[in-house]
Formats: sequence, C-alpha cells, structure tokens
Amino acid sequence: MSLINRIGAELRGDRVIWMIVAVLALLSILTVYSSAGTLAFRERGDNTEFYLMKQILILSFGLFLTYIFYLIHYQKFSTVAPYALMIVIPLLALTLFFGKNINSASRWLAVPGIGITFQTSDIAKLAIITYVARMISAKQDVIKDFQSAFIPIILPVVIVCGLIAPADLSTAIIIFVTCLGMMFIGRVDLKYVLLLIFCGIVMFAALLVLAQHFPGLVRAETWQERMRDFLTNSDGKFQTQQAKIAIAKGGWFGNGPGSSTQRNFLPSPYTDYIYSIIMEEYGLFGALSIMSLFILLFFRCVRLVTISPKAFGAVLAVGLGLILVIQALANMAVSVHLIPVSGLPMPMVSMGGTSLIFSCVAFGMILSVSKYIEQSK
Amino acid sequence: MAIINVKDEVLIRIYVVLLVVVAIAVAVFAKAVRIVTVEGAKWRELGEKSYVKFVDVPGERGSILAEDGSVLATSLPFFDLHMDCASPSIKEEDFKNSIDSLAWCFATYIDPQYTAGAWKQFLWEHRYTHKTHFLSIKKDATFEQVGFIKQFPLFRKGRNKGGLIVQRNSKREHPFKMMAQRTIGYVREGANPVGIEGSFNRTLRDSVGKKLMQKVGADVWIPVNDLAEIEPKSGDDVITTLDVNIQDVAQQALLRALEHHQAEHGTAIVMEVKTGKIKAIANIGKTPTGWWEDYNYGIAAATEPGSTFKLASIMALLEDGGIRMTDSVDIENGQHQYFDRIMEDHEKTSATKLTIQNAFAASSNVGISKLVFNKYAQKPELYYQHLKDFGLPYPTGIEIEGESAPKIKDPKDGGWSGVTLPWMSIGYELQITPLQLLTFYNAVANGGKMMKPYLVSETQRFNHTVTAYKPTILRESIAKAATIDQAKKLLESVVEFGTAAHLKTDKYRFAGKTGTAQLNYGGANNSIGGYQASFAGYFPAEKPVFSCIVVISKPTQNGFYGGAVAGPVFREIADRIASTHVQLSEPVNLKGKPILAERQLPDDVGLKNDMEKVLKQLNVKHVSNHKKDDYWMFLKPKSDTLQLLARQGMRKDLVPNVLGMGLKDAIYNLENRGIRVVFIGYGKVASQVPSAGVSAAGQTVTIKLE
Repeated sequence: MSLINRIGAELRGDRVIWMIVAVLALLSILTVYSSAGTLAFRERGDNTEFYLMKQILILSFGLFLTYIFYLIHYQKFSTVAPYALMIVIPLLALTLFFGKNINSASRWLAVPGIGITFQTSDIAKLAIITYVARMISAKQDVIKDFQSAFIPIILPVVIVCGLIAPADLSTAIIIFVTCLGMMFIGRVDLKYVLLLIFCGIVMFAALLVLAQHFPGLVRAETWQERMRDFLTNSDGKFQTQQAKIAIAKGGWFGNGPGSSTQRNFLPSPYTDYIYSIIMEEYGLFGALSIMSLFILLFFRCVRLVTISPKAFGAVLAVGLGLILVIQALANMAVSVHLIPVSGLPMPMVSMGGTSLIFSCVAFGMILSVSKYIEQSK
Repeated sequence: MAIINVKDEVLIRIYVVLLVVVAIAVAVFAKAVRIVTVEGAKWRELGEKSYVKFVDVPGERGSILAEDGSVLATSLPFFDLHMDCASPSIKEEDFKNSIDSLAWCFATYIDPQYTAGAWKQFLWEHRYTHKTHFLSIKKDATFEQVGFIKQFPLFRKGRNKGGLIVQRNSKREHPFKMMAQRTIGYVREGANPVGIEGSFNRTLRDSVGKKLMQKVGADVWIPVNDLAEIEPKSGDDVITTLDVNIQDVAQQALLRALEHHQAEHGTAIVMEVKTGKIKAIANIGKTPTGWWEDYNYGIAAATEPGSTFKLASIMALLEDGGIRMTDSVDIENGQHQYFDRIMEDHEKTSATKLTIQNAFAASSNVGISKLVFNKYAQKPELYYQHLKDFGLPYPTGIEIEGESAPKIKDPKDGGWSGVTLPWMSIGYELQITPLQLLTFYNAVANGGKMMKPYLVSETQRFNHTVTAYKPTILRESIAKAATIDQAKKLLESVVEFGTAAHLKTDKYRFAGKTGTAQLNYGGANNSIGGYQASFAGYFPAEKPVFSCIVVISKPTQNGFYGGAVAGPVFREIADRIASTHVQLSEPVNLKGKPILAERQLPDDVGLKNDMEKVLKQLNVKHVSNHKKDDYWMFLKPKSDTLQLLARQGMRKDLVPNVLGMGLKDAIYNLENRGIRVVFIGYGKVASQVPSAGVSAAGQTVTIKLE
C-alpha cells in the first residue's frame, strides 16, 4: 500500500479541501521564505532560514490542529460555541484596553509567563461563526422572527464586532459581513438583513464619534488617511505603488519562485502584500490559480449546504468558508489597490502565528463537517 | 408571497452569495490584469528607477605643500552626525532602556550645556512628539569622535537599530593657519576661486566616481558591484615654492610691524634671485576680528610706489649715459617748482648740491626728478621705452588669478602733462604692485636677467612628479651690465650712508631702496591721506641670493618712513635667512689651508707599522727614514710634508728613551732590558729618571705620565 493511499485512507472527508490545504501550505512556505528575506536580514543578520523554520514549525502545529479538529465531531463545536463566546468577549475587551501595541493598533494579547502574544480576534472569528451557525440551525423554524431569532443571533455579533472594530476595523467588517452572509443563507428575513447593513453603518458612525473622544482607542485617523488616500490618489502611496510594480513585473507568467525584487521595498511582503509577491513570482496565472483555490474552497462548502441545507454543520462550513474566502479576496484586493490598505493577512499563506492557526483550525472544522456529511449521505 | 420550499430558498440565497464572491474575485483579477497590461510599462519603469541608482563617490582633493613637503592645505574627513529618532527599526524596549544612559552620554560628551534630563526630554520629544528622522547631533566630528559616539548606548546596536546616521564630509584644513592663506586661497561655492586653490583647481580637484547602488529596503542601499562603476580619482598635490621658515619669519615680522605702527595692511614678499621662486608671501590686513590674510596686497593691489621707483629712473639715465655718480645736482634746498606744482624732498636741507649718488641715497625727490626732467622732458617716450625695457609696465604673469596690471602712462596716450614726467620719476602718477616692483629689483640683483616670479614648482600624484615647472626668464637682460653694476652700487649706498643706514649690519651686506609714498594726496588743503612705507632690496649685496619687498600701508604710530617702518621688517627677514642659510655666509675654508704648527703635531711615539696605519687612515702624506717595520718612530714636519723619524738611543744595554710613549710601550721597552719600572700618573711619558743612555743593568727607572 503506497503512502498516498495510506494518507488517503486516513484522511477522509472532502479530498478536494484536503488538497487545497496542502497546496496553500506549500505555497505559504515558498512565499514566506522568499519574502521574509529583508526582515531576516534586518533582524537576524544572515540567518534568513530563521523565518522559514518558524513558519514550518507553526504550520506543522497548525496542520496538526487541522487534523485534531477534523477528528472531532462537528456537533461538539455547537455545544462549545456559547461558552467559547463567553470567554472570547471578555478577552476582546481585555485586548482593547490592555493589549499590546503593535503598529499602534491594540490587537494583541500577551499570555503571561510564556511570552506568547496572540490576536484575540482570530479566536473570536471561530467562536462567533460557530455560534451564529448554531443559532441559525437551532432557530430554523422561527428564523423569520425578529424577537426570537434575529435578536439572539445578532446581539453577540454586534458585541464582538464592536470590541474589535476600534483597533482592527477590517477584521470587524470581515466578521460582520461573514455573519451577514451566513444569516442571509440561513433564510433570515431580507428586511432584517438590510436593517443589519444599516446597523453596521450606524455602528461605524458611532465609532467615529467615539474616536473624537478617545483618539488613542480608535484608529479613526488611520482609516481616514487610508480612505482619503484611496479615493484621491489613483497611484496610491509608496507601498501601493511598490505592490503594483511587483504585479507589473510578474506579468502573466511570473519571474519564478524566490526571484522577487519588490520584496525589498514592500512593507510586510510576507503578510499584507503577500499576494503582490505571489504575482511577481508566479505571474497572473499563478495568482489566478491561488484565487481559484479559495473560490473552489467556497464551492466545496456550498456543496455541503446543497447536501444538507438546514444542518448546523453545513451552515458552519459555509460560514468558515465564507470568512476564509472573503479575507483572502480582501487581501488580494488590497494588493491590486481595489480597496484601501487594510492589513489583513491571506489565510493559510501569510506568515504569522495566530492567523495561520485560525486558518488551520477553520479548515479542520470544515473537514470535520465534510467528513460526517459525506458519511451520512 | 409565493411559498418556496426551504431547500430552494437556501440554495437560491447561497448561489447569490457565491455569485457575489465570484464577482469580487473577477474584479480583483481584472484589476491585476489591468496593472500588468495597461499600466504595466509605467509600473515596470518606475520599478527600475526606484531600486537602482547611481550614487556619487567623492575622491580626495589634492594637498598644497611647501617646498620642503610641509602641508599648507589639505582635505580632512569630517562627519556630520544625525539621529533617526523616530525610526521604526529602533525597538521600543531598546529606546526606553537606553534613553537615560544615552542622554547622560550626550550631556557629558556632546553638549554639556544641557543636563542629562534635558537631553532625555529632548530626545523623547523628537521620537514621540515630533517624530524626527534627521536630528542633528554633532557637526564636524572627527573620525575618532565618530568611533567614540558609535559606542554610546543604543547607537552601539548599529545603523538600523541604533538610529545613528553618519555623513562624511571633507573639510579644507590649513595646518599653519594664517600662513600665506590668501596665496594658498580657496575654492568655495558661490565665490570666485582665489589663490593657488583657484588657479590649480583642475590639478587639485578630485573627480567624482559613480557607484551603482541597489535598494534593499527603506533607506538601505547596498552596492551592486564591489567596485565603483567609475572610480573616483584623488586630486594631485601641488608643491609650492614657499619655504615655511621664511614664510614664518616674513609673516611674524610683518605682523609685528603692523601692530607696532598701527598700520592698515601690509605685504612682504621674498623671492629667490636666480630662479624667481617666491619663497614667502605674507599679506596681512586689519579685520574686525583681528589681523588676518584678508587680501593679496602683494599681487592684486597696484599702488603708487614712491621712491622705490627712483631706481628705474636712475637706471634709465645710466642707460643713456652721460651721467656719472659723482656728478652733482642742485637740489635747491629740497624744493623745486615744475609748472604749477612744487616738488619737495621729505626733509628740507640746507644742502644745495649733492652728488647723484648722494641724491639717490638720500632719496631726494628734487634731485632725481630734475635729472629725469632735464634729460627727458622733450622726449618722454625715451624714458617710457626704458621702463618698458625694465619690464615695468607689464604684469608678471604669476600663476594665480587676480594680478593687477601696472598702470604706467605712455606719453603717446592722453593724460600726459608737464608734471607727469617729474612725478613719475619719483614713483607717482603710476601704479604698480609690490610683486611687479620686486621682480624688477630681483632682475637688478640677478645681473639684469629678469625672472618670472612663480609659486608652484611641481604637481605630484602619489609623490611622483606629474608636471615640473622650471624658472622662466622674462627678459634676458633689462639693461647694460655697467648700468646694473652702477645700480647695485647705488642701492648699496642707500644702506651704507643713505636713508637705510640705520639698518646696516656687519653680519652681512644688503642693498635696497626705501620708499615713502603719500596716499590720497592733493585733497582739500593739500591734505595727505596717510603714507605707504616700503623697502625693496636684496641680500647679500655681493652675491644676491634673495630679494625682498616690504610694503606697509598707512602706519599711524612710531614713524611712517619706509626706512623706519618697512626697512626693519626687511632686516628681520634677512637676518633670519642669513642665520639659517649657510650658503649666504662665506665658507671659512676658502682661504689657504692653515699649516700645522710643530707643537700641534701629535707627539706620539710608536712602532712604524702602527704609525703608518694611522697616518694612512687619516690620509696624511708622509715620508719615512727607516725601513724596519718594528722600529720606534716619531713624527716631525718637513717644509711641505711629514716625516716619520726613527727614535735614537734604543740600544739593548742602555736605558732607552721612552718619552712620549704610552705606559704599555714604555714598560715593554724598559722591562725587556731588565729594568724595574716605577710610574706615576697616566697619559704619555713626560719625564723619566734616569734619562736615556745610562747602563740598563739593575736599574730602576721612574717615569711620570701626563
């Protein structure tokens, strides 16, 4: 029995999603190794392998978690979700007020004693999506009702997004939009969905008012600056221009793995602008393939819904798939200057601890769903 | 509302979402395609531009050296230090941990005007409030200082994490400070180049190289290749004719005189007679901040020379012949009227008639002008022709920029009046620079051969000559030999018994002429706007080696005559040169060799072999009257040579004559004959008892050494 067959036998569930995980993980290693060179040179002297090893380690741990979550029956997630949310909300508050400042945004929380910092919003993503999926499937019979369905679903979403938004607006928007999408798919009344969109705008306005009073807490200045820059300057600022240069240099077929030069000029080429580097090294075709992988992932999640439309698992999978694909597309859109600079990493690919772990866990949960849905078919 | 089944509703909705997602993806990809295709060329070009560029790599400007290699001007590297306070590369904890000790270092080593606390606050504000990326820390730091500052806390973390920015600059340094500064000059942006720096800029200038640099991050550039694409070239060195010792004494003496007489400015130039090399040129003027080389008075300022010009007048007369030094001239008690103007001598005298020599030595304006006027009033062009022969109406063509051309009226041109000639003959109504006048005096000292004055003897690259500049002859002969001889005698008489007699010294002889010119004369009420005191001459008088001119403008205290103000400066310079330049003194061994007196001869007695060896070593010619090598000999002078004579009375059975021998030789001779020896003292045997000739058997001889 060959090794591939062994692994195939071991890993059931959606093989396509497994393949997507593998390809993205491989791409992550290649691109991070290529693009972290400057960072490594600056921070570590000649030790450019440092970030490669670090990425491989985190990725290995992440894939291990994928496997663990894949093994767990997805119904367990539903049980845990409310408790997880109860833990996550205080953590988010803690982060907002006492978190560690990185690039003047309070997004990180240090675990005392072991010197590890993590982005609480990544945990929040999993918790809130699981919770929303649970509520949608639980309230299917009364889903069109405002009082008994809409409010209990939306309230935690508003709280979570409200706590994340001051320091990390883009993540808050991503979560909000994902939950919106899930509710839309979960048959929540259209007028409430529209109301929700309206609510989101109101919340954003409230945030801006808040910014006037607590300038340290809310990064309204940065948003305004980025928006203004996006709307008025068609060529973009230095980093945007460098990203475009990278894309233009890559052309259709790219310059080949590891041959990027723009990695030297782009700020955070290994996270925010990783898609630019991918395009420089693998060209438009390479970039299209990566983009297609995420779309394909979403397709596979949608497929789960078509198999069992009302089930918690299907809603959860489509929610997780949605957040992964939205975040990936947002990252790509920043690179091509379609939306303002946001600072969102590309799931599974960008360097970085918490984001990668979140992506791996999300994949694990999707795979768990796919495994049991396929089994029950 | 149509009832749709649950599954269909979910599916419709999910396909809507899927459609939105795909639409976004298409939009993103379309934008990417647009960047690659439509905007592609623009971005690629921008990319090429922004990450490689040529950076200037400066070379070193050449140095200006004195004749002996002393550095007069050179470029030294200096560093400007800045701090990138708000650099994101400086880690927060590093900054916060180091700020106190860094501030202490600043307060202790960089600017103690501020306390460590003030420095800390200052740096803190520049990091967090002003977000300064280029805060000036120190200007003109030396290499050593930079090394020290690099060790400060935080800075020692390196360029990126420390935030210290070092910029290298080059500064022109003059190790001898004021020395000949105006002549050495400068090249500055926005100012006309001055002096040797200016004239030899092409030689001294470095050529800037180019280096292709690649950007590897914000503000981090690394060279693409190891070597610069265009290597920078260092400038060549310029070796001047200046002698730092002579320059030093000229400057010191001039400065002392300027201070003593509270003058406005002055110049002193020393030239080598044979070559025209300028050995020293000092220009000092009064500036608001003190005495300084503020203008090249010696080269750029043409003024009315006054009496020093009389040499030219008298030489013109001598050239045309018909006068002798002993002829007399009526000086009319020191006053004579030419048309509407009265010419006066400096001092009224009761004398009426003076010999021409005395009139020159005493610098009588009336005497000299009358001689010239009588001779040339009808043919002034003849006088002018002589001045042309003497090279006086022409610039010297010295290498550096800014030489003033002399202004000497040509009778053919306008502006010539009846009084022009007499006044011109005593150095008025014409303008000439000190250097031009010195060139003329130098020609006289050089037997009529006029040398071009020059300042640069060669240019060198890495201590190898690139161009050597040889002495240039301007005029092979400016006058007849007889005229030159007479002129020299006249100049000597000025020092012997004329206006510079008080400067005479018995150490060496010098010759020259004093000058005291009125400045800005002929104002309201015939007022005089001060004097210009000068002295031009050469030394030693017999065989001139150096010529020198000293001009001091507007002395206000302790006299104003050339002999009193400028003359002493000339003497001081000449004194110093005479005492330090052996070639100026007569060799003591020129006369016949002194003959050795007999009593000065060594009175040694020794074996012939040894004596001859010594004499041969000393290269002393001698003859010998004995053939045996081991015979005892002594020296005796013959009329023109030395003789080695055999000592008599050395028989084996008698007491020998040991006078003049050393103790070793004496004991050898005595004891070999069985004689006991008693000796006193040391040196050579001066006496012996008993004396030679008595029987040796059983004798005891007492010898006394001295």
